[in-house]
Amino acid sequence: MSKPKLAYYLAGGCGGCDIAVVDLAEALVDVALQLDIVFWAPTVLDAKYKDLEAMPDGSIDVGLVSGNVRNSEHEHIVKVMRQKCKVLIAFGICAACGGIKGLVNLHTTEQLLDKAYINTFSTDNPEKVPPQTTVVVDGKYELTLPTLMDARPLDQVVKVDYYIGGCPPYHEHIGKAFMALLSGQLPPSGSWITMGKAVCEVCDRNPVLQGKSKKFATTVKRTIEGTPTEGACILEEGYLCLGPVTQGDCGAKCPSANVPCRGCGGPIPGVKDFGLRAISAIASMLDNEELVEQIPDPVHLFYRYALPSSFLGKRIKR
Amino acid sequence: MKKIEINPMTRLEGHGKITIFLDEQGNVENAFMQVVEFMGYEKFLIGMPIEEVPRTVTTICGV
Repeated sequence: MSKPKLAYYLAGGCGGCDIAVVDLAEALVDVALQLDIVFWAPTVLDAKYKDLEAMPDGSIDVGLVSGNVRNSEHEHIVKVMRQKCKVLIAFGICAACGGIKGLVNLHTTEQLLDKAYINTFSTDNPEKVPPQTTVVVDGKYELTLPTLMDARPLDQVVKVDYYIGGCPPYHEHIGKAFMALLSGQLPPSGSWITMGKAVCEVCDRNPVLQGKSKKFATTVKRTIEGTPTEGACILEEGYLCLGPVTQGDCGAKCPSANVPCRGCGGPIPGVKDFGLRAISAIASMLDNEELVEQIPDPVHLFYRYALPSSFLGKRIKR
Repeated sequence: MKKIEINPMTRLEGHGKITIFLDEQGNVENAFMQVVEFMGYEKFLIGMPIEEVPRTVTTICGV
């Protein structure tokens, strides 16, 4: 019996999810031997887009896409991936919800290009030329660039069968997901592949798991303003940990390293807009309303990983 | 003029494309490398508390 075929496309991401798969290390050998990896661009294999386009429709058993859809090239290739793959997985929080690179939706393309190419003290661009989608060099060499668009999660472009969160997904969780894939033990199409537990439920610092009750935070602190007490809940001490609303397939790695959770695992089951639920959860954990005013930079905190998948999707200016 | 496109460049995060132009004899007349991705961190990081920036900018390239 032939091995199942796997394809992996990195769209508007960083390659971290690709490396997380490689981080399976010895376990990857067992997984890779059971799969026929036909395409993994651009990060690992020497495959080109035309190789993917030449494959018959539906001939690839599993497709992974990491990164959000940010330009016309990403949009085209993810549609090709959807055509060629029987099962398509939004791999990593960028593909699932938009990711950190989704924060570009706070600004217009003009503002982003202006800052990067024209108005920075270290930029040398006296003619103030931004990137163009078409340029003809020396009058005869025509070059093109994809068109920039608002960042979108994968499911706003094509139908997605499964979602895996994380920035990147923890390698043990990836291993479990691959095992579930290979043995056909998957949840219904359209689900997240997750244990379904919030970070708090798997966190050693959770007072409830120690037989105590949770207390309201009586102060709001930036992480530079102190060190969390060992063994104590980081949110209770005022450090705005997003553990209560974030999926904990990572095993609460950040809180175990004294760092508040920032929500990269994606929303706990049943939550559509991560930022909105995070705001409501954090506000309900604060002792009084004045503390809400002290939350530094709410948008980069609550919407860091999930702005494109939120109800508004982007900043709307009138 | 014949044009050969190599897209994407292998093992490059940030998506590169190489375009090669050949003359009538089939020799390389000119070749261009373009980075086809643009992120925008320079703009959207503005306003973020400084201590959050290191954890955020590691996503410029995860490789």
